[in-house]
Amino acid sequence: MASATTTWSMSSLKSSLASIPSSCSIRCSFRPPNSTRFRPNKTKPAFGSFLGLAPLNPLPTLTSGNNSYEHNFTIIDNGGRVSAMRHGRRVPKLNRPPDQRKALLRGLTTQLLKHGRIKTTRARASAVRKYVDKMITLAKEGSLHKRRQALGFIYEKQIVHALFAEVPERYGERNGGYTRIIRTLPRRGDNAPMAYIELV
Amino acid sequence: MHQIQLTHFHTPSELHQSLSLSLYIITFINIMSRMAEPLAVGRVIGEVVDTFTPSVKLNVTYNLNKTVSNGHELMPNLITTKPHVDIGGEDMRSAYTLIMTDPDVPGPSDPYLREHLHWIVTDIPGTTDASFGREIVSYEAPKPVIGIHRYVFLLFKQKTRKSVTPPTSRDRFNTRSFSQEHGLGLPVAAVYFNAQRENAARRR
Repeated sequence: MASATTTWSMSSLKSSLASIPSSCSIRCSFRPPNSTRFRPNKTKPAFGSFLGLAPLNPLPTLTSGNNSYEHNFTIIDNGGRVSAMRHGRRVPKLNRPPDQRKALLRGLTTQLLKHGRIKTTRARASAVRKYVDKMITLAKEGSLHKRRQALGFIYEKQIVHALFAEVPERYGERNGGYTRIIRTLPRRGDNAPMAYIELV
Repeated sequence: MHQIQLTHFHTPSELHQSLSLSLYIITFINIMSRMAEPLAVGRVIGEVVDTFTPSVKLNVTYNLNKTVSNGHELMPNLITTKPHVDIGGEDMRSAYTLIMTDPDVPGPSDPYLREHLHWIVTDIPGTTDASFGREIVSYEAPKPVIGIHRYVFLLFKQKTRKSVTPPTSRDRFNTRSFSQEHGLGLPVAAVYFNAQRENAARRR
């Protein structure tokens, strides 16, 4: 730890500081970065995209000690769940019995493949990723058996045939991760957190 | 958390302060680039323009109360008339060009007609709004048919006045090539919103 900071000195740091903005409120579709990631061997703070995972204002938490640690944890309204951990939960249940859940996911993947970008709740968007990736993987393989498997999952025939026709050139080089989720404003009626999910 | 690491060591207070100051520097340097983060996530940077640093304020408002924020959705009946666009800039001698395009035509799953041009206003003096500029391509109300479309407002700084001419057609517009042929370079501000076709079920 000490080895990285010996290259800096207080005077050089203080002289290079022009003016420090006290807070920056960015109106964007992200939640403020507040995840806690323990990096035991990191000596220099990471630049660029990794900064999104660091707390936005590290100074108040450094100086104020234990009382402000709660700001660093994920504060999401979890619909009644008490803990914020996910130990051992493999399948997102989506508050539905299994047959309805399967039908919901089939419908969502069909609509996503048809329209390219849909707006649903965050839980459904993150649950449907797996099935969309599966469908695109089936289309990449392209054999008759895979086509019939896709026809058994997606509700509309045209979409399956269009998918099998265009996926090789569109996703030929990409290995996985064929969707993107963008979080957005909550829904007005019930304040459900919403997200756009789109094909890459 | 790297805060916990610092408190575990018996470091002199100067070391502690220098680390925190360095974190401050890094956040300060990255603030301007982080304002473009929603544009990168929404793939406006990447599909419409290249990476740029926003330097000029841009406020787009429909109907006096609906401000366009990155990634938020607006109803198509609200966006039929042209919005009120306020721009920043240092003084009134600089001229800016505002372009509004739709990169998801005809639908975001297969945008083979990318992009469609909706509006161009040129020679906008700095710190004023779009009504002071010259509208060379008149405002066309967005009509998304398939899927959810993004509508992107881009602000470019002009080198000279009267340097931007209207393109030949609105279809198959390419923002990069347009800015290159008129010498506009990278944009100085951008904002985008989403819109989808309103059907009878969405009566909100």
